[in-house]
Amino acid sequence: MNVELDPMQDLAISPTGTTPAIHFSARTGVLEIRGESYPENAFAFFEPPITWLRRFMSETDTAIRFDVEVAYMNTSSIRAMVDMLDLLEQAHLFGRDVAVRWLYDEENERALDMGEEFKEDLTLPFEIVTLSSQE
Amino acid sequence: MQASHLFDIRETFNRQQILICFNGPFSRSIIEELGNAVRSYMESQSIAKTAILDVFSVFVEQTQNVRNYLADKAASGTGASDLDSGTVVIARTDDRYVVTCGNVIEAGDAAGLVHRLDALAGLDKAGLRALYKEQMRKPRSETGDSAGLGLIDMARKASAPLEYSVQPLDDRFAFFSLRVAV
Repeated sequence: MNVELDPMQDLAISPTGTTPAIHFSARTGVLEIRGESYPENAFAFFEPPITWLRRFMSETDTAIRFDVEVAYMNTSSIRAMVDMLDLLEQAHLFGRDVAVRWLYDEENERALDMGEEFKEDLTLPFEIVTLSSQE
Repeated sequence: MQASHLFDIRETFNRQQILICFNGPFSRSIIEELGNAVRSYMESQSIAKTAILDVFSVFVEQTQNVRNYLADKAASGTGASDLDSGTVVIARTDDRYVVTCGNVIEAGDAAGLVHRLDALAGLDKAGLRALYKEQMRKPRSETGDSAGLGLIDMARKASAPLEYSVQPLDDRFAFFSLRVAV
């Protein structure tokens, strides 16, 4: 059977009380996650973005910019984020242009710690960006 | 309960500097609202952001551990009537916040939990960090949906070793509680 895949659509997920906003652009390769993430079932929540990312990586060569501005994650969200970053790391090792920016509020030391702990396991470009609270 | 007993409960809460206490069915919405309420309260007290997040995250890990446990038991159909409920307290002691959470467990589940907690108690911050990173890299086929990070994360954030208690109820059930001081 010859199945033709739909062209890639953007992925847009609105934030809820316990989940972040997600926007992945198929055209620009800019992936953004913003907010807080502590759903009970983080694996279910992160499944669509992970599936989207896998497909995007297999169907395109577009450079990927992954912006994460997450003030707080529960441990199961952290584990799901590891899966996502590992996918990006693989792509990087295979020569794709991939870069992560981890944005955190300067008063939120815990968000900085999280970013640093993710970064130390990866070789892809991973920039930690401090946001001023005065904005 | 007699009307005057409420006063006794109030006195106990005040003496123990309890900010919030919930005992009953652990529905997702109740747990979320309690967490939000404590967070808003702490924000209104101009407490450092880091301290607020540490208390909040311990509350989330504690209550989600209980909810995951209760959901597993409901799924395996071995539930006793108390196996949908839990108790959670957030209290102040001098300069710290303490999140204590407990629930009825099957007696046979106690040994595994106690073993894990005793192993954590023997580790310093560097040891906990190493264990956390090791667990974080474990494939999900080994860890299941819970990821197995919650207890380690709480031990890392805690300012004192985690304290637990297992009180036997009968030959099938026990009450497990875990105290985390941040």
